Amino acid sequence: MFNFLINPNKFNKFADVIFKPLIVITSLTIIVGLLLVYLSPLDYQQGLTVKIMYIHVPSAWLALLTYAIMTIYSVIGLAFKTPFSFIINKAIAPIGAVFTILCLLSGSMWGKPMWGTWWVWDARLTSVAILLVIYVIIIFLNYTFESREVREKTIAIFILIGSINLPIIKFSVDWWNTLHQPASISKLSSPSIDISMLQPLLVMTVAFSLVGLIIAILRIKAEILMRKNYL
Amino acid sequence: MTLIKKILLFLKRESKLFYSNIVDLFSNILFFFLSIFVFVFSLGADQELLRTIGLGIIWSLLLLSSTLSLRKFYEDDFNNGVLTIIHMGGISYELIVFLKILSHFFFVQMPFLASIPIASLFFDLPVNEVYNLIFTFIIGSLILSCLSSISASMNLLNKTNFAIGSIVVLLFSIPVIIFSVGINNPDINVNSLINLLIGIALIFLGISPWSSAAFIKLALRNK
Repeated sequence: MFNFLINPNKFNKFADVIFKPLIVITSLTIIVGLLLVYLSPLDYQQGLTVKIMYIHVPSAWLALLTYAIMTIYSVIGLAFKTPFSFIINKAIAPIGAVFTILCLLSGSMWGKPMWGTWWVWDARLTSVAILLVIYVIIIFLNYTFESREVREKTIAIFILIGSINLPIIKFSVDWWNTLHQPASISKLSSPSIDISMLQPLLVMTVAFSLVGLIIAILRIKAEILMRKNYL
Repeated sequence: MTLIKKILLFLKRESKLFYSNIVDLFSNILFFFLSIFVFVFSLGADQELLRTIGLGIIWSLLLLSSTLSLRKFYEDDFNNGVLTIIHMGGISYELIVFLKILSHFFFVQMPFLASIPIASLFFDLPVNEVYNLIFTFIIGSLILSCLSSISASMNLLNKTNFAIGSIVVLLFSIPVIIFSVGINNPDINVNSLINLLIGIALIFLGISPWSSAAFIKLALRNK
């Protein structure tokens, strides 16, 4: 049933089936999400700038999610030697990098009015910046080695080593005293954010992940085509 | 031949190689001192300023000079086939990597230890800071050896992009720098920082034999 997650041919077929409905759903979700963001209440302290959250938080989550997906696929690829894992690693690394850049940029635009500075050296910000560097190194490694096997496996092992950073990012706000606030939503208890702000946030998260999914499908299909031509 | 004898012979070979190549190490130490001079000249010889930032400068320059001889970690043994011969002698690649890390720690990083008190003289550091620096360097340099092993084995077949090896070492050494320099912050409990450093060292001692051996096997297959 889930063969399309490791088999390029089945992935192509599956992607062809879902692609057009996906575009429709994505545009609907974006429109609804933007409307909800427009209608969402202003914060009593932050005013209008609270709406940066609806960009900042989804892109941060997706930056982490992209890396987690790459980690899982690296494990699968190294253990079972599935070529599709390496296709995924090559295809979605730039997407994760873009989400990380988006998160950092929106965060610094949010930090300037709220904290009074574009950048502070606190644990959360630094660890996300390190995540960006790891993504950039992965992209560079894609253009470094001559032999394709060496390139792919080196990247996979490097991704596994770099995944140490993921729990550090997640728990940095709990382990250290940071200027960045701790997580409002991902606790096991009920969320510490009001429902009127939670709804647009979740819809925007879904919209962001669908956009990321569409770009990922396009990139993966292009990568499969390229490999078919070269082999 | 028992395993212990093989290990001793391996370390003996490493020490011989080290003594035949000792000028390289001295050049690294010279680089370290010269970069301290460059730093001091570019900042101006303000005694107070140098005392406050001296520890951070010494740590970052130690890090930079340890990335200088990075490519020599496995390259010679890999190119003339010694790695394969040692492996055929009955030592797994993971153990080879572990022994290499240990010998790098003893023969390359420990001589730097002798240069730290002299370097801290230039910055007029207080005595307890020098003690802390030496203590954290002993743990931190073990982590640096592990990182050098990872990045050197990663770039065995890399013929074009030489900078990426140093970038990898710098990237993963950020936690080392944070906790080693933070030891002089009076608000922070020293024991917890040292425990954290030892924890990072143990994590990398666990990761690096596996990953370096995987990189080496990969490179040997595609040589």
